Amino acid sequence: MLVRAGLTLTPDQVRAILPGAEIFRRMIERVNAPLPREAEPALTFDVEQG
Amino acid sequence: MSAILTIANAARLIAARKLSPVELTKTHLDRIRRLDPDLNAFLLVTEDRALADAKAAEARQMSGALRGKLDGIPIAHKDIYNTAGIRTTAHSKLLEHNVPTRDAHTVKKWADAGTVMLGKLSTHEFAFGGPSFDLPWPPARNPWNRDHFTAGSSSGTGAAVAAGLILGGTGSDTGGSIRGPAALCGIAGIKPTYGLSSRTGILPLAFSLDHAGPMAWTAEDCGLLLQGMAGPDAEDPASVDRPIPDFTAELGKGVKGLRIGVVRHFFEQDHRASDATRAGIDAALDFFRKEGAEVRDITLSPAADYHAVGYLIMVTEAFTLHGPWMRERFMDYGELFRDRVSLAATVSGPDMIQATRRRHMLCREMAAATENLDIIVSASQPGEAPRIDSVPKWANMEKPSFTMPFNVTGFPAISICTGFGEGGLPVAMQLAGKPFTEPTLFRAAHAYETAMKWRARRPAMAG
Repeated sequence: MLVRAGLTLTPDQVRAILPGAEIFRRMIERVNAPLPREAEPALTFDVEQG
Repeated sequence: MSAILTIANAARLIAARKLSPVELTKTHLDRIRRLDPDLNAFLLVTEDRALADAKAAEARQMSGALRGKLDGIPIAHKDIYNTAGIRTTAHSKLLEHNVPTRDAHTVKKWADAGTVMLGKLSTHEFAFGGPSFDLPWPPARNPWNRDHFTAGSSSGTGAAVAAGLILGGTGSDTGGSIRGPAALCGIAGIKPTYGLSSRTGILPLAFSLDHAGPMAWTAEDCGLLLQGMAGPDAEDPASVDRPIPDFTAELGKGVKGLRIGVVRHFFEQDHRASDATRAGIDAALDFFRKEGAEVRDITLSPAADYHAVGYLIMVTEAFTLHGPWMRERFMDYGELFRDRVSLAATVSGPDMIQATRRRHMLCREMAAATENLDIIVSASQPGEAPRIDSVPKWANMEKPSFTMPFNVTGFPAISICTGFGEGGLPVAMQLAGKPFTEPTLFRAAHAYETAMKWRARRPAMAG
């Protein structure tokens, strides 16, 4: 994934982000918890849209 | 002149010709010379510019042509605010020699209001990622105890205001970067409603989460400073064109009749705050009740839901901006910034879409929960400032933030000091409100601050 994003990191550089990547993976899981099918994204963020 | 003034007090004295803007400026420049070597709040002191600004303010004072309450007030800008002809670095090696040709929108507005610019203030690299010890300049230190952290990223502004080096300054807030340093440095700082103040000319971190706002010793001072920066800007796509209220008009009205909702699960269950933080909030709520406010608990989604959505969007938007440089100059970034933002490479398209869908739902949830409320109360930070050398690399991810929910929704939120913890360092609470209700936040915060005698206490080093 790092390479696909254009980041060619050394093994040490990759190792440095692994602990954070594990925490971040749990965040992504939380974001991906099921939502009602009709829930649409905010195409442009507008504080008054709520 | 020995006592450190507030902006409100200084403005009254300047208007009455009892305080010279030049003398006020010289006093602050002297304080910077004496104290800043131990604080690292300033990346650059612009003494010549400050004295020129002060002389111009004094000329207006003597001719009866003051431009308002900010005329002659010593301020400084976080070093992500562009300043024409003056180095603006984002505290990063990548912009070590960057000299913008144009002022940020707010820099110009404050200058037009007559403020005296003392210099540029320390930040976390590109407003994300500190405290870092591998950048061209050291991180700011906390004036209450310089072995401790200021929080960030508006770290220099927090330290400089608390130490009395400036009377107010600019901050930016993408996930809590105004309210965090305000809390740990024992001052006030407001993240205004998304769109109320322009971000033009401020180095961005995350387009849809970035907010610009002021920091000062009191909520009243924040109101005066926000008056000088709020307003439409055609160059900022998020800017809202709506009438700007008098942000200090409701000061002195007390809190009688205000409806206050407490998001207690944020700081008791979701991320349990320190005893002193919780006690400070409870004491403040007792004060609000005694003064006639209605106080009740409310429930929102877990703080972790807001935090996950906000953090994912923040690092992804940051990588959108920094990706080109990160691919070419990865090691020129500090470790904390590069490693945290690299995580965006693991975000898929559907992840980002799911985050924006959930964000929309959280916005609607908060709007519904606050429909019959004037103010939402929560913690601002989990406790007192930790030691600056013991902040874990992934600290801002491990537990949910109390401030991020209001970046996700764009609702305004102010952090104010609620006293001191066992370590003698400040603790704080956060007052949030519905969009564009800043005058009510200032009203409640001011009522609380003026009733607390300890608000006069300054860090020992500030004298």
